[in-house]
Amino acid sequence: MEFDEMKKIWDSQNNVYLFSIDERALHNRVLSKQRQAYHVTHVSELLSIVAFAGSGSIILLVNSFKSTGSIAMYLMSVWMLITAACVLISRVRRIKGNRQYDASLHGSLAYGISLTTYQVRLSGLLRWNMLPIGVLILLGFWEGGKSIWAAAGLVVFLALAHVAARWEHNLYKARKRELEALKDKLDHEDSARDHQ
Amino acid sequence: MTEKEQQNIFNHWLNQHKALIFKVLRAYAATGQDRDDLFQEIIIQVWRSVPSFQYKSSVTTWIYRIALNTAIKWTRKERRYYKEEALYNIQHIVSESHLPVDERLTWLYEEINKLNEIDRSVALLLLDNFSYKEIASILGITESHVGVKINRIKKHLIAKSKTYDYHGV
Repeated sequence: MEFDEMKKIWDSQNNVYLFSIDERALHNRVLSKQRQAYHVTHVSELLSIVAFAGSGSIILLVNSFKSTGSIAMYLMSVWMLITAACVLISRVRRIKGNRQYDASLHGSLAYGISLTTYQVRLSGLLRWNMLPIGVLILLGFWEGGKSIWAAAGLVVFLALAHVAARWEHNLYKARKRELEALKDKLDHEDSARDHQ
Repeated sequence: MTEKEQQNIFNHWLNQHKALIFKVLRAYAATGQDRDDLFQEIIIQVWRSVPSFQYKSSVTTWIYRIALNTAIKWTRKERRYYKEEALYNIQHIVSESHLPVDERLTWLYEEINKLNEIDRSVALLLLDNFSYKEIASILGITESHVGVKINRIKKHLIAKSKTYDYHGV
């Protein structure tokens, strides 16, 4: 066979689609991603609430029983309890908002995107929340006359935690982009079918 | 660029160049799961690339570049869906159509599949009438290198076709 003949054979496929896109399978893939996203959100919300409420309460109690209570520690415990309350309120709002999405592929995708958008916002909020907490801890160190090395160690720890949180944040952003691309693909399929 | 504009361009591109992506899928991904995985990778990359498209090349060249680069990276990373997944997840997003396909085309794809990942790209672009210059630009190699590769691929395919038995001919 000559190469020109191969080219003719190759060109013959331009008018016939060798593959088709299965919307149902795409829907299931979306549902799977959605379940994954839901699970991760659920766990990260609960962990945040428990961690902030727990640490805030412990710091408040310990500080109250101390004769030399630190103002910075009081402020930090209040800040942590407020953070836990904020996460709890947004969790309640998120769960209420879930009901507005239908069970169609479009609905599932829109829900998945909304959930991931929420995760992006939550992880961003928690990441930047480290800053006031770090400042308050440092203030507590200063009040308590702790060594500079302890403060430096804390700064390094917070910087590392911030990097890890940024990585997590970017992970959610990538997932969101992925879902948006799938939704656009689906919108495209619909518009192509409407034109037929 | 607004998200809506990006979406419109993406929809249009996908509608116009779906066949091109299917060709890359067939040349690079052997199983249904691999095709799904690679398809998702390619469409995500195409979506992301929309804002950076500057009309310096044709859309076909741009999408081919993205699809092939994604496929090459995907092959090298060997990113496959080997992990166990629930049954609903095993359904294929991209499935082969039941339309009768020229047996010789199947043979041609089989031969292309046997080439290394860069040569597969060269073969696809060559069969889709891209110039040496365009192939070099898409794959980031020199035109002379493309020339050498094309020569070798043509010779290889012609030699293989001599042993190919098409309806006993």
